[in-house]
Amino acid sequence: MPKALAIDGSNLTIQDVVDVARNGRTVVLDEDARGRMEASYAWVQQAAQQDQPVYGVNTGFGSLARVKIDPAHSSLLSLNLIRSHAAGVGPILPVAETRAMMLLRANALAKGASGCRPLLVDTLLAMLEADVTPMVPSQGSCGSSGDLAPLAHLGLVLADGDHGRVRVNGVEMSASEGMAQAGIGRLQMEAKDGLAITNGAQLTTAIGALALHDAVSLVEAAELAAAMSIEALRGASRAFVASVHRLRPYPGAIATAGNLRCLLEGSGLIDSMPEKLQDAYSLRCTPQVLGACRDAIQYAVDQISIELNAATDNPLIILDEDGDNKAFSAGMFHGEPVGIPLDVLKIAISEVANLSERRLYRLTTGSLSQRLPAALASKDRPELGMMVPQTTAAALVSENKALGWPASMDSIPTCEDQEDHVAMSTTAARRAARVVNNARRVVAIELLGAVRALQFRTRAEAEASLGLGTAKGLQRASEVLDGLGDCPTPGEQIEALASWIQQGGHRGVVDGLESIA
Amino acid sequence: MSVVLDGKSLRCADVHRLAHGASVSLDAGARERMRANVESMPSGPSILEEKRHWLVGGFAAELSPEELCKTFIIGHCAGVGEPLPKTLVRATMAARVNVLATATTGCRPDAAEVLVDMLNQGVIPTVPSQGSVGAAGDLAPLAHIARVACGYAERPDTVRDYRPNAKEALALINGVSMTAALGAVGVVRVRRVLDAAIAAAAMTMEAVGAGAGCIDERLLRSRNHPGGIEIGARLRGWLEGSQQVSVDRGADAFSIRASPAVMGTLVEELSCTETILERELNGAGDNPLLIDGEWIEGGNFHGAPIAQALDAIKIALTHLATVSERRTFRLTYGQLSKGLPSFLVRGTGLNSGFMLTQYTAASLASECKGLAHPASVDTIPTVQHHEDHVSMGPIAARMLLEMVECVADIVGIEVLLAAQALDLRMRGVAFDANGAPMDAEPIQLAPRMEELHRRVRARIPYWEDDGVLHPCLKAAGQLVRTGEFLGETSPW
Repeated sequence: MPKALAIDGSNLTIQDVVDVARNGRTVVLDEDARGRMEASYAWVQQAAQQDQPVYGVNTGFGSLARVKIDPAHSSLLSLNLIRSHAAGVGPILPVAETRAMMLLRANALAKGASGCRPLLVDTLLAMLEADVTPMVPSQGSCGSSGDLAPLAHLGLVLADGDHGRVRVNGVEMSASEGMAQAGIGRLQMEAKDGLAITNGAQLTTAIGALALHDAVSLVEAAELAAAMSIEALRGASRAFVASVHRLRPYPGAIATAGNLRCLLEGSGLIDSMPEKLQDAYSLRCTPQVLGACRDAIQYAVDQISIELNAATDNPLIILDEDGDNKAFSAGMFHGEPVGIPLDVLKIAISEVANLSERRLYRLTTGSLSQRLPAALASKDRPELGMMVPQTTAAALVSENKALGWPASMDSIPTCEDQEDHVAMSTTAARRAARVVNNARRVVAIELLGAVRALQFRTRAEAEASLGLGTAKGLQRASEVLDGLGDCPTPGEQIEALASWIQQGGHRGVVDGLESIA
Repeated sequence: MSVVLDGKSLRCADVHRLAHGASVSLDAGARERMRANVESMPSGPSILEEKRHWLVGGFAAELSPEELCKTFIIGHCAGVGEPLPKTLVRATMAARVNVLATATTGCRPDAAEVLVDMLNQGVIPTVPSQGSVGAAGDLAPLAHIARVACGYAERPDTVRDYRPNAKEALALINGVSMTAALGAVGVVRVRRVLDAAIAAAAMTMEAVGAGAGCIDERLLRSRNHPGGIEIGARLRGWLEGSQQVSVDRGADAFSIRASPAVMGTLVEELSCTETILERELNGAGDNPLLIDGEWIEGGNFHGAPIAQALDAIKIALTHLATVSERRTFRLTYGQLSKGLPSFLVRGTGLNSGFMLTQYTAASLASECKGLAHPASVDTIPTVQHHEDHVSMGPIAARMLLEMVECVADIVGIEVLLAAQALDLRMRGVAFDANGAPMDAEPIQLAPRMEELHRRVRARIPYWEDDGVLHPCLKAAGQLVRTGEFLGETSPW
């Protein structure tokens, strides 16, 4: 694990999120960021005592901004915001997603534009370090004005009081018990703390960042599986020649074509049927389809990367601006900039899986597979082979179509029409994570088929040489399957390969492969 | 109470009880019919024996019948993903027993009795929830069950030592019993949510002093739709004796005025879906069938009939979700709620009251729209062009179950808010359109409104100043799910 990660509101990457959320990397607050936070905090503290209305500091929330609040009540105002916004329902979020949300909130505050104390960030980071994870219900957020309810459930743990639930090293307990056990003090809420904790689409972005990390890796697994299938089906390489792709210069297609060439270099099975001028689309159009997916995923990566380092609060405190009122009410919390890309991610990943499923169908269909055995059933032992796993793949890609409905396209007016357009980005993110999980299993099924197909080819034709990358892929995936012991069910084989992909076991089978940035 | 499976009278409500642990037995008559069916089998190799070459390639000739069955079942254990809840596995097992009890599948009674043993002893296999396309049946999920039933995975000695023959191996997995079982549990839940939603709508009408014209029996009868007529009658039942809901209150917004029309669609869809599911539950969902001493091959395993019905009910359930959410929106909206305070709380500003409950309802309603996407319009060719049109019914069923959870919480939110609104009315708390307090007479609740209100207050206190909202939402959702809101208690 790399050294501690210092957050400053500007340099967080998707890989950092994975390191912290899934692998427990330590996080600290950058010292310059601490200074910026203190300055904006000082401004809010004095503004809370003035007559000049500042949203959420000395006014009510949402449509209740029309109501002025006595400065003496600013602490209670923050606490009430947390308590009354803790309106989540449904299953509790997984630990990794919750940790990612905490990190993202800490980084947004580290930007120094939210007018809150560094102690708030220090507390979040101490919770991450001590593995104190709030119990956050997964449903109920509209993604505007941010992921209010999920973040308020986090707030219930931060704010001192008889509320909030946590998991500490997997054991559920009250927030007061968990925080005391970990030796972390809970906070007395101050002016604007409530908004600083809840205003922003951090749950959307947290789930999205983890899903994107997995999606980027999955595309590479899909390229490896595609190369192995194409090789097993004696594909033609002319469809992947660089000069062809330069004539329709989509960066994703150029990258996928390059990776296929790289993986298949040295293969004696490729171009072994000169009479076959061109292959079916699921083979021949792999660069076009996976390339389009790469480009779409790149867009999502770019958007999420901006959001990872954004101030998402309302109002924002900008000390450099002229005039006495440094508080700027805007709509930075709105989840649309991350909602749309995550809906796009669903489409892209669904297509990765759709293409994979069709290659698998060819591999398992005797009349389409260039004389591979029907259903790729073993010649050494009785079995049904890949007949049923192909059906499983079909079920998974179909489910993705239903999950693909774009959540961010919907909006329902909320809060007395003050918040009359919302993002529904959280739903997009949650669905995207499911689509990625389904697609990973589809690619795992194709890999399972491709492993069997290449084993047949190499046994049947001793002289058949495999590509540099595909040979390595075959070797690594075979090791995973060999580790399963006697007679595993197809389901067990699929899950084993899916975990292997999830852990990145397929990456770097050969040098020179291009990844999504 | 025990459920007796006879292959012809299984109801959705029975499947729901079996899911929650009711004991089960195979009807004596059905057992006799199964025996007679087996005896009617023509001599010669069974259908599966004839197909052995296609099933297990070049090894066919070498395999013993037992090895053939084992290879066949294990090869179908290709499910992936999260395990199905045990309740739903139970429902699936019971539904499959009932198919075998139709005595048309050429199976000995033991093939059904082994599943009965497992159900009664709580031997419930782990079944991955994903991987079935619902044509040639729910092959993978049922194979995960059959694997235990046939003794190919750990099976306690207390369960009979059952060994399938070739036809039974096929019959244990060759139908959409999981889809039908999930659908059956789903419609029971949908009905419970609908019942609660009607009562919640009545409370909202009482709280805002709705016009009574929209539930006039003559008006609803004039448009023929039985669903709308039923909703109207039930709303009138709840509101009997109301001093707030009367004809002189004029016309309300659609979420109230058109409630019979909108919610009525679910009444009709529910009875239609239930009928279709019950046909399937009592149907011979297998292939081939042994009828009049003759093997007949067909497509009785295909999930299309129930897949489409399950998608249809998702649409009607989404209507219920969206119309309840709009009533919730009105209840929280000071200028639309006929004098109730913004977010149903006194001292707004420092208190946000029930502001966020409506966001939650909106978010859930939006989820429903996504889940309403019809799974059954898709099909993907499988098994080497052989199974070239499939139903995707299991996806529809799983999405229905996911959706009904969302809708239970949406209706729970309306219940929570309507109870708060009635409290405010009973206290005479009212505000003008600008949020200024105004005089109002405390109201007297209609008798049945009082009963509903009391049940809510037994679990959830009146909201005075802001506290933690989540426990209220959770309790409200439970009131709906258990039926306690309507004076019943039953597992969800």
